[in-house]
Amino acid sequence: MGDLTERTMDVKETRYKLTLCDGTACIHNHSKAVQQALETELDKHGLKDSVSIHLSGCLGMCTKGPILIVNPGYIMYGRVQVEDVPEIVESHLVNNKAVTRLIITEDHLYNRFFRIFGDVDFFGKQMRIALRNCGIIDPENIDNYLSLRGYEALAKALETMTPGQVIEEVKKSGLRGRGGAGFPTGLKWEFTANQDSDEKYVICNADEGDPGAFMDRSAIEGDPHTVLEGMMIGGYAIGAGKGIIYIRAEYPLAIKRLEKAIASAREHGLLGENILGSDFAFDIEIRLGAGAFVCGEETALIHSIEGHRGMPRPRPPYPSVKGLFGKPTLINNVETWANIPVILLDGADWFNTVGTETSKGTKVFAVAGRVQNTGLVEVPMGTTLREIIYDICGGIPNGKRFKAVQTGGPSGGCLPEHYLDTEIDYESLAKAGSIMGSGGMIVIDEDSCMVSLARFFLEFTQDESCGKCTPCREGTKRMYEILTRITEGQGQPGDIEKLQRLGEMIKHSSLCGLGQSAPNPVLSTIENFREEYEEHIQDKKCRAGQCTALLSYTINDKCVGCGACKRVCPVNAIEGVRKEKHRILQEVCIRCGQCYEVCKFDAITKA
Amino acid sequence: MLTPLQAIKKKRAEAVNRIVSKGYLSTKRVYVGMATCEIAAGSKEVMDVFRQAIANGLTDVYLSQKGCAGRCNLEPTVEVVEEGKIPVKYGRVTPQRARDIVERHLKKGEIIAEWVI
Repeated sequence: MGDLTERTMDVKETRYKLTLCDGTACIHNHSKAVQQALETELDKHGLKDSVSIHLSGCLGMCTKGPILIVNPGYIMYGRVQVEDVPEIVESHLVNNKAVTRLIITEDHLYNRFFRIFGDVDFFGKQMRIALRNCGIIDPENIDNYLSLRGYEALAKALETMTPGQVIEEVKKSGLRGRGGAGFPTGLKWEFTANQDSDEKYVICNADEGDPGAFMDRSAIEGDPHTVLEGMMIGGYAIGAGKGIIYIRAEYPLAIKRLEKAIASAREHGLLGENILGSDFAFDIEIRLGAGAFVCGEETALIHSIEGHRGMPRPRPPYPSVKGLFGKPTLINNVETWANIPVILLDGADWFNTVGTETSKGTKVFAVAGRVQNTGLVEVPMGTTLREIIYDICGGIPNGKRFKAVQTGGPSGGCLPEHYLDTEIDYESLAKAGSIMGSGGMIVIDEDSCMVSLARFFLEFTQDESCGKCTPCREGTKRMYEILTRITEGQGQPGDIEKLQRLGEMIKHSSLCGLGQSAPNPVLSTIENFREEYEEHIQDKKCRAGQCTALLSYTINDKCVGCGACKRVCPVNAIEGVRKEKHRILQEVCIRCGQCYEVCKFDAITKA
Repeated sequence: MLTPLQAIKKKRAEAVNRIVSKGYLSTKRVYVGMATCEIAAGSKEVMDVFRQAIANGLTDVYLSQKGCAGRCNLEPTVEVVEEGKIPVKYGRVTPQRARDIVERHLKKGEIIAEWVI
């Protein structure tokens, strides 16, 4: 509710929280010296305990840096120099009077959540474009979206831009597809716009299927209108009159909110004929998917909407030429659509200052696994894995060691420690042997077995393979079998090479992204953690202690013969007389570990 | 005839008026996370506590739902926003904590520091 919260100039509270931009450009503009000066000044005025300084990631206002934000009030100071610091501290922090000459008023769409969350490190280091309204507005009330300049980007496009200019703006922004492949969005729009056809379609791909990924669900549940607005702008740009959101039926709340959003947009004349009094007509409907992973692939998704079995087909022709019902179709992912209104209002020239050389803007990641703070994180491209895992997500809990991070969902690779300083973008992740994917990020610590992890992902992909291409259908199954036998202690010499050969084969001979990337978790764990595979196969050992079949439990001399283990053993594999050392019958033991848990004398050795 | 930009500005002004008429300018605004993840963590029951408190006569509070802000491990989350003050963000809010937030924070203005994110 930007318009409403901005009138907070008369600040009553004395406790302030400062956010200083810690982006590269601001550091270059001496933000570190400003930070030092602030600390000194605060100390001088005895404010050290009542005022806190937080460092944020790039705030996207590099030309006006260093940026200093004072909360409460969300007062933003620009081009703050060391000489300005005493005045800011004395006037604003001591006398509660803002320093007007330094205030910059930027009515940006992005980073609005800063007003509420900016002082929490988890949020302060993020930059939110696609998720800009998530968690700060009521998603079921269109008034909330409208009050935050909602649908203004659409109005701007309709009134001041030709479809060609909209496409130019998206091209200039450098936005690339957020669904995983990273194809330049503007080009896709242009290809579709250039097709001569009486009918065209716009599709939003909300078939989010990666295990552990929930970026699209959160985006829709938190701010459904931004997706609709993005699609409408896309429709205007390519000359389509109809949009379809393909979403899986497992997301009932997201569907409900989309339905509600579509209904209220129609009520407000934002969907239908003569949108906002112009001659642009557009409507959106929802199609439910049954949750097949392969339907996230665009051609399979289109088949599914048409009522056919969800299977991919060879490209070209690409959907932009021959898509839904044979008509030119523009298909983008939820997160891509959510970026569009910001690009139009905040400008492509601003948007392409965020990110790296080849990848502009931000990316949303769903961080899960062994980190302190699991959650949804949106950061500028070029942020390092270390910054996400340690600075934002608080590092690994329980003093454990970081082992690997798996990016890109079940088709991504596992990157070990020496990749932690990789600046994330589409190219750098691919170079490291993983992918951006749709944004899943699973952090793995020393307690996880890499072979089991690879097996877990293969179990998923071999199950989800649609069966069209033999290498993918049969190959992933065979790989899964080999991995299973390795984790069960039945691995054979040559298995690693067999996995590699199969993996390469599947990658090169599958039609769609599912098969082309399914072997990635296996290949990258072999590449980076080959010794673990070798240990499993040759020494029948699992260093993480996760593969139960490779464990053995024995009783050592600390045993006092209390009989606790004997009582708890579900298969009667422990024998011994009371007050004498017990023994585990290895051929009966099922390695459930219950004796290990129950022993009070540390008398059971797990190896 | 309004141009699209004029039309949307009018719509925005109307929307702001409707929000204000629902009590947005109350001293305190309470936001309860209500995405699938938050609901799974128990936010519906938390929301009910606040609704009930308002039905039972708690005034000068604007209650709203919100989407997920991304703090999975601290859900359900509740924010209490007051003009001119740092917004207070509570994590792992149970119905019992919600009742305490009503009694101590919303009624007496006490920030319950131990639950703040």
